[in-house]
Amino acid sequence: MLSPKDSPLGKQLGRYVCVRITRMDDVDVGLFDRDWNNTIYFFAMNADEQIYFRYGGRDSASPDTYLNVDSLELALRQGAEMHERGVKLPPRPKALYPREIPLLVQRTFAQRQCVECHLIGDFQNLQREQDGVLDKLTHLYRSPDIKTLGIELDVPKGLVVKQASGAAAAAGMQAGDKIVAWNGAPVLTFGDLQYQYDKVDRKSTKVTAQVERGASLEIALPERWWWTDLRLRQSSVDPRLDFEDRPLSADEKKKFGLPADGFASMVKYVSDFAKIRKTHELRTGDIIYAVDKVERDDLANTAELFLKLRKKAGQAAALSVIRDGKRIEMPLQSYQLSFRK
Amino acid sequence: MKTLGLIFLLAGAGVAAQDDTVEWLGSYRQALQQAKAQHKPLFVEFRCEA
Repeated sequence: MLSPKDSPLGKQLGRYVCVRITRMDDVDVGLFDRDWNNTIYFFAMNADEQIYFRYGGRDSASPDTYLNVDSLELALRQGAEMHERGVKLPPRPKALYPREIPLLVQRTFAQRQCVECHLIGDFQNLQREQDGVLDKLTHLYRSPDIKTLGIELDVPKGLVVKQASGAAAAAGMQAGDKIVAWNGAPVLTFGDLQYQYDKVDRKSTKVTAQVERGASLEIALPERWWWTDLRLRQSSVDPRLDFEDRPLSADEKKKFGLPADGFASMVKYVSDFAKIRKTHELRTGDIIYAVDKVERDDLANTAELFLKLRKKAGQAAALSVIRDGKRIEMPLQSYQLSFRK
Repeated sequence: MKTLGLIFLLAGAGVAAQDDTVEWLGSYRQALQQAKAQHKPLFVEFRCEA
């Protein structure tokens, strides 16, 4: 299938010089920064490398939740109009090249391997961890999900809200609202919105959404607003645990005599790899109520999240578990998924 | 479906374009020069094909 010049999308693309990049070796990854686990991503910019809009972005459910022909056509039209009007844009971001990331050089260039998009993010984080500057909430949990705030977009219409609930509705957001700025930064597409949302300090308690009808809505950020499912990030630096859990309810905690503010959780899935790798001997239905005798955490609401946040891949931990009503101790040995290169 | 259609639409628009299809360059530097010369904006696509 082709994009004919006389199709609606083709007509908009014809207003641009289009270029496709499939190798990242010499690309300015500072200029083209994004969540590197997107399978496809676009930038519209001027010849001074100032960005009109980003197009792309994803959620944990699917790589193409927010990809749509109509919204792309709309963004292209708006970007071209901005170009024709000579709209003033923020300065070009600071340059950063893949060859400036030592671990990436060592594991790809030095081995004559292709620098794939996701490897940029993977090795940036590995480098940060090695340099002691990895902030897991910011660097590991990239691209917070707007659905956590209760924002569901009418995807073909770009940033028009289809349904608002939760924190967004409490702030006054309504179906039909069009989001035009996020924390003061103009946004034209979901890609822009997700990028700006990702830049919000993880310690923030609120975010501001400006909508086209003129309102500036202050949205209270819920607990763990930054959390996303890491399973889409196949080679990230988080400790691999071979189990998944869910938080215990207040009633369940009471029933088992556990603190109401603890992160006790119930194991809901155990990977077959747990036996092969000897990660642990957890079973579905086990309740983990402490890790290394710690039962509470400022951020984590489950043992799994506590381990992801507080342990480095490869570290061991002691789990306190309730199984069939009995309290037992159990070792866990986390591991890091080997990067492909 | 328009979501998946987007990927195929753009994927099919090959670098070596036919006369009636959108032309996609393969060189960022060349595209930047062309955008300057033609006073056009740039549209840059990143996709992994490895």
